[in-house]
Amino acid sequence: MSKTRTDGFKSADALPESAREALAASLLSLADNKRILGMRYGEWILGAPTLEAGIACSAMAQDEWGHARILYATLKDFEFEPNVLEHERPADEYLNSELLDEPVTEWPDLLALNLLLDSALSVQVEAMTESSYEPILFKTRKLLEEERFHFEHGRGWAMRLGDTGAGRKALEAAYRKAVGPCLRWFGRPDSEFVRQLVDAGVMNADSDELRRRWRERITPVFTEAGLEIPESGEAVVLEWEDWDADRRRAAAGALDEVTLARIRGDKNRSMLMD
Amino acid sequence: MGHLSGERLYEIFARQKREDRLEHIGTVSAPNPELARVYAWKTYDEATWFEMVVAPRDAFRSVNRNEVPFTLHPAETA
Repeated sequence: MSKTRTDGFKSADALPESAREALAASLLSLADNKRILGMRYGEWILGAPTLEAGIACSAMAQDEWGHARILYATLKDFEFEPNVLEHERPADEYLNSELLDEPVTEWPDLLALNLLLDSALSVQVEAMTESSYEPILFKTRKLLEEERFHFEHGRGWAMRLGDTGAGRKALEAAYRKAVGPCLRWFGRPDSEFVRQLVDAGVMNADSDELRRRWRERITPVFTEAGLEIPESGEAVVLEWEDWDADRRRAAAGALDEVTLARIRGDKNRSMLMD
Repeated sequence: MGHLSGERLYEIFARQKREDRLEHIGTVSAPNPELARVYAWKTYDEATWFEMVVAPRDAFRSVNRNEVPFTLHPAETA
């Protein structure tokens, strides 16, 4: 296919094959994580500490579902069928972070997804704001505009809980569990997958640079809220033994069946069947 | 409004067009200005706002009346 700039790809089939596969996997990972993160936000609409926080969860859920829809639709260009992606895959084909495998039962754990995982997804999207894959360009802007408020929500709550000893302790525990999976989500430092994307100009950063950008965004919040999160330090050596590079997550586990049925809309579709 | 300790009321003002005047559109309860901004934006999303600002209710000073707390909505005096 034709390129509009010397370095721009107008459609997926213009991309080098290895970059095409890597980008498809990357977009699917973003879409799946956003789809399920939206569920996790949505599960707190009625249980959040205040009415306003519940409304914010509802709004963030809708944002994430919208972003996932946009990303699944983009995958049509890669010869995926969005309908199949959204409604027909088993749990082990979802590329979601292990942090999203189960519903979140404690508010600080939701705040960890909000500040840490949601920001990781945004850092990855930001690395594509000047992508050589042109169809993604105008989609990233709306998405990142909405994400600005997700980050502020996570930050505002970190400061709120950071105000009290008990809040600080609960939040530290939740963040410390979530930091490792978020840092690993960007991929191994030597990831061939990421290198293909950088070489083709699809993304402007390799996995170590993405980790650096994520830390740069998150660390000031830890400081502001008076939190000690040693797991986020640059000297921390990440472990990769149990890493599933294809699913970009810990090898063990998958999305829970109840959530799976809900995101696929199994019940709704059974009512429409003859 | 859910009211936790440490929360304050914030008044929200917005305008849809640059040439409009800022109008009072509502109130949120929030523990800090950062969350007040998020709550205001996400709660009052019925329009595409050109500008939205928030201020803590207790930052307002009555000029001509003695009643406290300050109210922007007559209905809230009940």
